[in-house]
Amino acid sequence: MSDIKQAPDGLSVARTLDAKGLSCPMPLLRTKKEIEKINAGEILEVLGTDPGSRNDIPGWCARSGHEYLGEKEDSGFIRFFVKKK
Amino acid sequence: MSSMSSKVSEIYDSFFKRTWSPMTGGILLALLSIFMVAWARPWGVVGGIRNWGDWVFYAVGLYENAPKHPLYFSSSVIDIGILAGAWISAVIAREFAFRFPPMLEIWKGVIAGILMGIGSTLAFGCNVGGFYCAIQNLSASGITMMIGLIAGVYVGLRYIYWEMEHFTPGPAGPTILNKLPPALGWVGFAALIGAAYAYTGSDVDGAELMPGYLLIGAGIGYVFHRSRLCMVNGFREPFMTGEAAMGKAVAVSVILGMFGIAILKFTELRDTSMYVESAFGWGSLVGGFIFGAAMVVAGGCGSGSLWRVAEGQIKLWVVIIIFGLTNSLMRNWFGANGWMEKLGSAVYLPDYLGYGGTMFLIIALMVVWYVVIDWNEDSNALVVEM
Repeated sequence: MSDIKQAPDGLSVARTLDAKGLSCPMPLLRTKKEIEKINAGEILEVLGTDPGSRNDIPGWCARSGHEYLGEKEDSGFIRFFVKKK
Repeated sequence: MSSMSSKVSEIYDSFFKRTWSPMTGGILLALLSIFMVAWARPWGVVGGIRNWGDWVFYAVGLYENAPKHPLYFSSSVIDIGILAGAWISAVIAREFAFRFPPMLEIWKGVIAGILMGIGSTLAFGCNVGGFYCAIQNLSASGITMMIGLIAGVYVGLRYIYWEMEHFTPGPAGPTILNKLPPALGWVGFAALIGAAYAYTGSDVDGAELMPGYLLIGAGIGYVFHRSRLCMVNGFREPFMTGEAAMGKAVAVSVILGMFGIAILKFTELRDTSMYVESAFGWGSLVGGFIFGAAMVVAGGCGSGSLWRVAEGQIKLWVVIIIFGLTNSLMRNWFGANGWMEKLGSAVYLPDYLGYGGTMFLIIALMVVWYVVIDWNEDSNALVVEM
């Protein structure tokens, strides 16, 4: 919840969700829905602009058992990486 | 020396860059809520944005009488303070940017803003004046609005689930001004202090109270943004993900603030009728229901929308503008017809239960809510599946 976790380089992403411009709670809800579309062990990448996702996505991962791999700051948006359990 | 400077930089980060826990935010918010009553009056959100809406309709000739000056009207100055505090927090932490959403989100902002304007008229306030501060000020209407809010949030959540099945948002607009230097936040802070001092030279009636409204308001905005404290989240997450941290922080915050304000009212340092409006009855129930559903669709309540405006979220700009305009129109229309008195009765709980009984009732309610959402965090019994 406090320090920002940086994602490692070179992750191979199975699916990308574009949640740019969406505000709370839509990025998290769409993440929940999108993760159903990949297999266990695969990685979902979420593109977002809401700083709230920095709390919401890791928090949800901790509760749901998916592994939060971290984020990478891009130009004007953030990439979040979640590994499905 | 190097360890000293690394310590200083760590302390700086923890106060100005890291996100605080919801409970830290809730406790500090309660403290500021008491400060504001000790200064002069309870804080609120909707009164200020209604004042700005009044000016729009006065400018186009719909209203005859000029509204109060926004820089000398307490509600408006509190809102300006909240915006300033949240903006300073966002810029210093590099979290400010104008974020343009897809069109679908803009339309949701318009509809939600209209409904929030209607709900907050019926309940004599948004989630702050109608629920949070109303309960802290020992008004029975705060409790009925809470019941309405919870029911409304449930319906709002069902709507966004439905929307997810039927609509895909189009492409987002640009994100701009995302590279503002953090030093600009400190310039903003200096300007805020300057503005507070500027009031001291004014001979306008009531000007001497404005610095407190501005600075305590800014403290509220700063705390909200730094902790991302969000009452929508507090009511919604138990139904959405089961997460209870925000809801528990709001429950604790209500109780702590209530103690301080009960002291100020019991000792008659403050008028007991403050924030005890004639909304106990259907006004706060129905208003809370409408407001609760709308704030989920908006992605922000009265206070949450305001601090997200300061963070640059364009959807919430739409929400706040439409919310203020609608509330202005409806409040004036209801006021002109004498309907504001027919929304319910003004019930100051200590008149019926005494101060002890009132505090017992409010603590019991918040503890029940706290325990239920905490239990739900593990059992997920209340979570609505997609």
